Amino acid sequence: MLIRAFEEALAARKDHGFQLLSSGEEAVAVGLCSTLDDDDQLLTGGRSIGPALARGIEPNRVMAELLGKSSGTNRGKGGRGHLADPAQGFFGAHAVVGGNISIAAGVALSKQMSASNGIVAILFGDGAFGAGALHETLNIASIWQLPLLFVCNNNQLSVSTPRTAALAPKNLSDIGAAFGMPSQTIDGMDIDVVAKAAREAAEYVRAGRGPAFIETVSFRFASHSTNARETRSRAELVEIRAKCPIVRQKAALAAAGILSPAMEADLNREVSEIVAEALAFADASEYPSTAEVLTDVW
Amino acid sequence: MIYQISVPAVADVEEIRVLEWHGDLGHRFNQGDLIVELETHKAIVEVRAGQPGVLRKILSEAGKWQGIGLPLALLSDDDDEALPDANQATTDLLVDFEIT
Amino acid sequence: MSGEIQEATERMFFREAIMRAVGEEMARNDRILVLGQDVGAFGGSYREFDGLFAKFGASRVRDMPVAEAAMVGVGVGAAAAGYRPLVSITYMDFMMLGFDPLINYGAKLRYKTGGRLTAPVVVKTTSGAKGQGVAHSQCIEAWLMSVPGLKVVAPATAGDAYGMMKAALREDGPVVFVDHKRLFPIAGEVPVAETIIPFGLAKIRRVGTDLTITTHSFMNRVALEAAELLRADGISAEIIDLRSLAPLDIDTIAHSVRRTGALLTLEEGQVTCGVGVEVIARVQEALGPISAVRVGALPAPVSSNPVLEPACLPDASRVVMAAQNLIRQRRVPAWSKSNR
Repeated sequence: MLIRAFEEALAARKDHGFQLLSSGEEAVAVGLCSTLDDDDQLLTGGRSIGPALARGIEPNRVMAELLGKSSGTNRGKGGRGHLADPAQGFFGAHAVVGGNISIAAGVALSKQMSASNGIVAILFGDGAFGAGALHETLNIASIWQLPLLFVCNNNQLSVSTPRTAALAPKNLSDIGAAFGMPSQTIDGMDIDVVAKAAREAAEYVRAGRGPAFIETVSFRFASHSTNARETRSRAELVEIRAKCPIVRQKAALAAAGILSPAMEADLNREVSEIVAEALAFADASEYPSTAEVLTDVW
Repeated sequence: MIYQISVPAVADVEEIRVLEWHGDLGHRFNQGDLIVELETHKAIVEVRAGQPGVLRKILSEAGKWQGIGLPLALLSDDDDEALPDANQATTDLLVDFEIT
Repeated sequence: MSGEIQEATERMFFREAIMRAVGEEMARNDRILVLGQDVGAFGGSYREFDGLFAKFGASRVRDMPVAEAAMVGVGVGAAAAGYRPLVSITYMDFMMLGFDPLINYGAKLRYKTGGRLTAPVVVKTTSGAKGQGVAHSQCIEAWLMSVPGLKVVAPATAGDAYGMMKAALREDGPVVFVDHKRLFPIAGEVPVAETIIPFGLAKIRRVGTDLTITTHSFMNRVALEAAELLRADGISAEIIDLRSLAPLDIDTIAHSVRRTGALLTLEEGQVTCGVGVEVIARVQEALGPISAVRVGALPAPVSSNPVLEPACLPDASRVVMAAQNLIRQRRVPAWSKSNR
């Protein structure tokens, strides 16, 4: 809910910048992060806002970073494509498609060598699936039995290219199996399904048995980015929006007697307050001074 | 007759480090015996006697460096032949060398 | 003042200098790893990692499949997470495959995270032509010099390889350490005492008065050959070995050119956007217009052909010709008149 509201508020601003939004895909980030501990690290591609918030990074600092303020997680110098808060287990986003995958294996190697309890999860999209870096990293992670959880969020479109036109395997998770690791394809629109699969896979990885692979099949509600044109028809989008993971979860919780209308109202209010505070914090924060152009280069 | 062994002209090598002499002064090497091992930047060169000879003078001790074509030692047919004043001989000892 | 104390030195092969530096640093800091092809029991393609596998084990000295993008990526990622990998890329030509993790992530990491993360990784790679063909011969260090956040060094002697590898393994950000195929057969004196050579310091290899030749890596040898030929011609060449390309020691070079009045830059790579043109531009920023010429490979791929390879690469006679032209045509700047 927070992710949805946060991104809506961001997108509503004139100065929203170049953003990749997670609306529709929230279940993937939330389900995955529900199984990550303090010792774990999450790395992502460019669609980072949802995962960062799901990981528990302060919304104030995320909003500040997205709006270029020096109070942001990266002092305003990274933006959405490079959001990072390693102390909070969000090792970082990286904007190069597929570019963070081998990096994640390096972080996993460090966990393995330092006998840490933590594991590393790398979240990437179907757009990265064709990249050589993925295949090279699956191989190395497997050979070295790295504590690395590969999560391929297949939202079935890479900007304008449908996954079926770009990628050969029947299930994207087939690639994990080809490299000898437990792999599954699951419904990415159901928080509980994602959480369960993530927990199972994470347990396997935590036990030192090597890497694991999960493919989450999802739908994004918006176009690829705030710069990209939408490729789907109105009718298609209506159908897609009907699969909303938030609506689904609310319905399930209500049916189980856990979520009452009063509670839902409370949650909505809480979320609005958090988002409002984040915007206020960001707006009240300073931009970096021009002198910072040259700081932290070396 | 007095002979000399020099550093063999191994391809791509400019200088070597002498690793080990396989005989003291006065030792008679028979044909095929390993006389000295030399180290190049990538391999060991075994210098073997192509004819019998007595080791009379070592010009490059183990651990020392020497350039291609430059002298390593003097040998002679018999152990009582007088050595020349200058540390050189006009005749090269027949040797075989093997790169390992 | 005479009587400089000569420090004790030991003669060793170029590869032994690297081996010694890496071994010392690995013993001192257990976070240093070696990743690459044939670095384990094989000891490295040039035996530059001999003995490290036996001493430090398979966890710290790791053979990797041929996958330079992932090799560099894993190295950079492990560096970001607290380790200090040395990633060995046998042929500099194949560094290109690792440019994304090294440059887009590694070199930008400190900046893009506002200082929170940094990647202390050393990418060690061997450049240069030696009969191995167009894709196994390149010197592309100039391409890397302009990357903010990336340091680039190219030692030309065993002593410098030793001291600069130690320095590289203590840097807090990414470093590219470029050696050269033709340097491995060359032995040199290395200090017996532990020595670190900081980056950003060029070294005068030959003192001269009529022109300054700046160069790096194997071309030092070609420069020295050319200097001997020029001496017979009555021209006294000063040779400066850059050693460190990013950061570059312009002070030493400018100081020399102020005396000699002419600058010849020599590199094995291409002169277009090469090391030399950067040296010239910076020296001009320091001194004003100077007489300068660049010498490098001809603008063609360097094939393995026994006739075409040497024809493509700079040799002493090309350097001599360029130097002679330079001297003939040089203008004498106002500030140097009183020195001549």
